Amino acid sequence: MAIAGLIITLLGFLISVFSLSVSASTSGRLVVVLIGLAVSLGGIIGVLNPAYMKNAIWRK
Amino acid sequence: MKTTRLLLVLILCLTPFAFAQAPAVPAAAPSAAAPPVAPAAAPAMIADQDIKSLAGPDAKARENGDPDGSLTGTISDVPVTDANKGLTIGDMANQIGQNKIAINFVWTLVTGFLVMFMQAGFAAVETGLCRVKNANHTMMMNFMVYGVGMLAYWLIGFAIQMGGVGAVANLGNSPVLSHEFAITLFGKPFGLWGQGGYFLMHAGSYDVFVMVLFLFQMVFMDTALTIVTGTAAERWKYAAFMVSSFIMGAFTYPLFANWAWGGGWLATLGTGFGLGHGYADFAGSGVVHAVGGITALALGIMIGPRIGKFTRTGKPLAIPGHDLLIVLLGCFILAFGWFGFNPGSTLGASGNGALRIGSVAVNTMLAGMAGSFGAMLYMWIRYGKPDASMSGNGLLAGLVAITAPSGFVNPVGSVIIGLIAGVLVCLSVEFVEKVMKVDDPVGAVSVHGANGLWGVISVGLFADGKSNYGGSWNGVNGNVTGLFYGDPGQLVAQLIGCATLVGFVFTFSFVVNLIIDALVGQRVSAETELAGLDLPEMGALCYPEFEVKTQSVGA
Repeated sequence: MAIAGLIITLLGFLISVFSLSVSASTSGRLVVVLIGLAVSLGGIIGVLNPAYMKNAIWRK
Repeated sequence: MKTTRLLLVLILCLTPFAFAQAPAVPAAAPSAAAPPVAPAAAPAMIADQDIKSLAGPDAKARENGDPDGSLTGTISDVPVTDANKGLTIGDMANQIGQNKIAINFVWTLVTGFLVMFMQAGFAAVETGLCRVKNANHTMMMNFMVYGVGMLAYWLIGFAIQMGGVGAVANLGNSPVLSHEFAITLFGKPFGLWGQGGYFLMHAGSYDVFVMVLFLFQMVFMDTALTIVTGTAAERWKYAAFMVSSFIMGAFTYPLFANWAWGGGWLATLGTGFGLGHGYADFAGSGVVHAVGGITALALGIMIGPRIGKFTRTGKPLAIPGHDLLIVLLGCFILAFGWFGFNPGSTLGASGNGALRIGSVAVNTMLAGMAGSFGAMLYMWIRYGKPDASMSGNGLLAGLVAITAPSGFVNPVGSVIIGLIAGVLVCLSVEFVEKVMKVDDPVGAVSVHGANGLWGVISVGLFADGKSNYGGSWNGVNGNVTGLFYGDPGQLVAQLIGCATLVGFVFTFSFVVNLIIDALVGQRVSAETELAGLDLPEMGALCYPEFEVKTQSVGA
């Protein structure tokens, strides 16, 4: 799961970069960049961190 | 003929400064009653002969001393290149140019010295917020990160970051750093890293401009590195810290810094894709603080919380630091150093709009004030007491947030940015601790990560379009303007910067530290952690005459 979290986080960055070619309009780019940012944050907070929390020292 | 040519050179030298700094004068409406205006008289021509007729102070007068300073620093002090010709207009013009660059060199160096002193502030804050049993270890990390980071940056990092920056007008327009590796993406050049200036050498020689730039950029880089030591404090293996910091100083920080400040792809989002003035980060909310804070988050997740930070049900427990006095003293040192961080980022005090240093400095202090107020009031209202350490973190949060916009916003915008930062740091600390369950002893992820991102975004909102640094920014004519002042494209450029920080820098830092974890191990043993890191890791206690209590895990 940790690897999946990392991949999702990186994917968010790539989505944001591709906003430059997906749309020529500022608002279109804004939406795509925000999606990319949300994907990256989701990868860290929603996937990667919970994967590490499973084995957290306080659970032992 | 020669005199005329020299005069032209002199006029050309002075003209750009006048354009850069003079406020725009609105054209007066023609008045019917006004008499016809006579054509302006041609400017008086200055010849070498005029200069030769000028005399310095009388030698006899100098013998009586110069109590009011009026006899020191006169035409007698302008160096003459050819004694046979005497003083010429060329000599005067060269002296003007040299004076401009001298002012800017001294300004950049002195502000760099101030930023270097911030290392002491970070050391005080982090050590004060840790327990007595880890004080030597925490202080040593803050001490050695200076040397480790500098070595990595001198060997590799500086060239990656600034090797392709090109000429910097305020520092003499030297062309020696102009080798950027770029790929073509979406039909546009994407600068990825610099390729000049390894070991600060160029074609077997070196350049005074490179030295000034290195000193200033090096202390910025070290600031980013020292942020991480706070989050991983009290459980980070010292050897892993050394390796991790070296790689961050050599690659992680310089890569993003190149993209933002070294002529890389984020800086060219304006020229290449019409997004405002490209990613604009005046002094490094993103480049320095968010890179540090996000790397700290990566390490905080990987290394896990300290023993005793959370109960078995996941409820966070407070582990108070050992010296609140030194924490707040450290915050003041940092606030002082920030007057180097932000105003110094003009890279000069003369020419190309650099007189805005006054505005930058005031914006910095206002945002810091607003940040400390925001955090103190939030804690007072929510928990009934004006928490001291969070007030200190509020001050730092305000300063972090204003770092990127300090050169582009007005005082009202600065206070709003700082106030939001002060509240944001409290909310973020709660989120990181209670929701993510990441243990961050000093709140570095919230102070530098969350507020670094907020600072980057705030440029895209609050930049008022009134700054003017030589007529353009990142190669785009005009002034950086945010959404509230009419340019939504700037906000998009800023958000792409944020996405790069969250998506790329986090992933890169995580993978690097994962490899270090596999090779060296990131975390000390439970026994070492319970005993305190000072003796097992460093071989000496910070306070040998203190009785260190370790009866409970939270002690």
